[in-house]
Amino acid sequence: MSELLQVTNITAGYGDGPAILDGAHLTVEPGKVHCIIGPNGAGKSTLMKAICGMLTIRKGDVIFKGKRLNGMRPDQILREGICFVPQERALFPKMTVRENLRMGGFILNDQKELERRIDGILERFPILRERADQHAGTMSGGQQQTLAMARTLIIKPAIVMLDEPSLGLAPKVIQEMFDIMKMMSAEGVTVLLVEQNALMGLKNSDWGVVLDLGRTLFEGPAEMILSDPRIQELYLGGKKAA
Amino acid sequence: MAEILQILILGLALGGVIALMGSGLSLVFGVMRIVNLAHPSLIIAGAYITYWAFKLLGVDPIVMLPVASVIMAAIGVLLYRLMLERQTKSAKYSEMTVLLTFALAMVVEGALGGLFTNTQRIVSPDYATDAFFIGDLFIPKGQLYAGIVSLTIIVGLTLFLKYSRLGYAIRATTQNREAAELLGVNVNFISVLAFAIGIGLAGAAGSLVSFVFSFFPAKHGEWIAMLMSVVVLGGMGSILGTVVAALFLSVIAAFVGAWIGATWSTLTFFVALFLILLVRPQGLFGEKPEMA
Repeated sequence: MSELLQVTNITAGYGDGPAILDGAHLTVEPGKVHCIIGPNGAGKSTLMKAICGMLTIRKGDVIFKGKRLNGMRPDQILREGICFVPQERALFPKMTVRENLRMGGFILNDQKELERRIDGILERFPILRERADQHAGTMSGGQQQTLAMARTLIIKPAIVMLDEPSLGLAPKVIQEMFDIMKMMSAEGVTVLLVEQNALMGLKNSDWGVVLDLGRTLFEGPAEMILSDPRIQELYLGGKKAA
Repeated sequence: MAEILQILILGLALGGVIALMGSGLSLVFGVMRIVNLAHPSLIIAGAYITYWAFKLLGVDPIVMLPVASVIMAAIGVLLYRLMLERQTKSAKYSEMTVLLTFALAMVVEGALGGLFTNTQRIVSPDYATDAFFIGDLFIPKGQLYAGIVSLTIIVGLTLFLKYSRLGYAIRATTQNREAAELLGVNVNFISVLAFAIGIGLAGAAGSLVSFVFSFFPAKHGEWIAMLMSVVVLGGMGSILGTVVAALFLSVIAAFVGAWIGATWSTLTFFVALFLILLVRPQGLFGEKPEMA
């Protein structure tokens, strides 16, 4: 397997507090959708924060394209090509949609190229084009999530990490988010997803990772996880995958 | 009618200066969530720089303004690095920064008092005691110039925040620090920059204040309440709100001073602060505070 990102037995936590992750590992293949599942408090979001440099890694390694990311700041990791959308979508509520997209390309130095890419995004997402001059904070939850996901594409990242993109959205809108995610994947962007709705997350993914109590219990093809009776019982609410 | 117009003109001219005094405080709060209680004492430090440049070298206060701004901005960088940077990861960040900036205000007051005594000072260029006359109305040149320069600086600051790349980064950090960091903004650098600009604005305000108000080291105690009322009414972190609130409260204070008595004029700001916190704590342009 030609991994793009390799997380090896990392330990991490908040400040000087106890370790939330202790022995978490992860292998990310290029161009695929990876879904991390696990109960509340398993460390799913913490794992993403550790990868993107928001938390200090106490032990273990995060290797991206052969380069060790431990100790790098979030802005440095972003420049390497890893983009993170946290649960709360991380928008700037008093900036317009266009300004939010411009912030998405903050690390780009060529301003003409940035404007060209913004126009490209607005072309692909008509709802954002219609609301280009509207403040992000005044849009619906689904529109905000669309903006947060579309914004990641400005810098053409290698990996996009999405932390519960479906949180607080209506079922119809949730499917739209997964469709955007699939579109990203089809374009060659590797997606790493944390999803509370584990069943839906796995159904829309190629690869699954089961995390519990801060450590990785299982990694494998999403279909295999969906059909594993033990995992169904423990982490998928006992539901059989349809 | 002429009297009302006269009071309005005086109130607006002073409001412009007060807006500049408050804008640095508001910017620093917006980006860094620091209620900089030392801000007025740093304005007074800027006023002293201007005072001595005028007294010893005859430099005009308005000419001295950029120099005082740069000196104070450099002091701002030092203060941030030595005092505030290490607090950024503290669980008691807000409490610590309030205490530290309060202590800084006391230190600055003590140092200025020790160096220059508590004698009241004012810079007196020719225009500070001159006025334009339009019919029955008079416009003091000093207040007019200070007001115009203040509003020009604020417009410049607003354009910088609205259109420049660094301005985008500052606004983004103000609205969502974590999101800004995730999009590649070096928020530590932006914090230093915003603090330096904030203290630079204190220096600029000090230059203008030096010929509009008399000042002495302990004066900051009165000014912090005035500036807090302006910043709170405007909405903590909103530069536009600070300007609107400064102009509004200054005009009210001017009317109170003219019709009720000069000693009641300053009280306008204190009463306003009290009422705003009771009725609309988020101010005019601020976000509603989350309920516990």
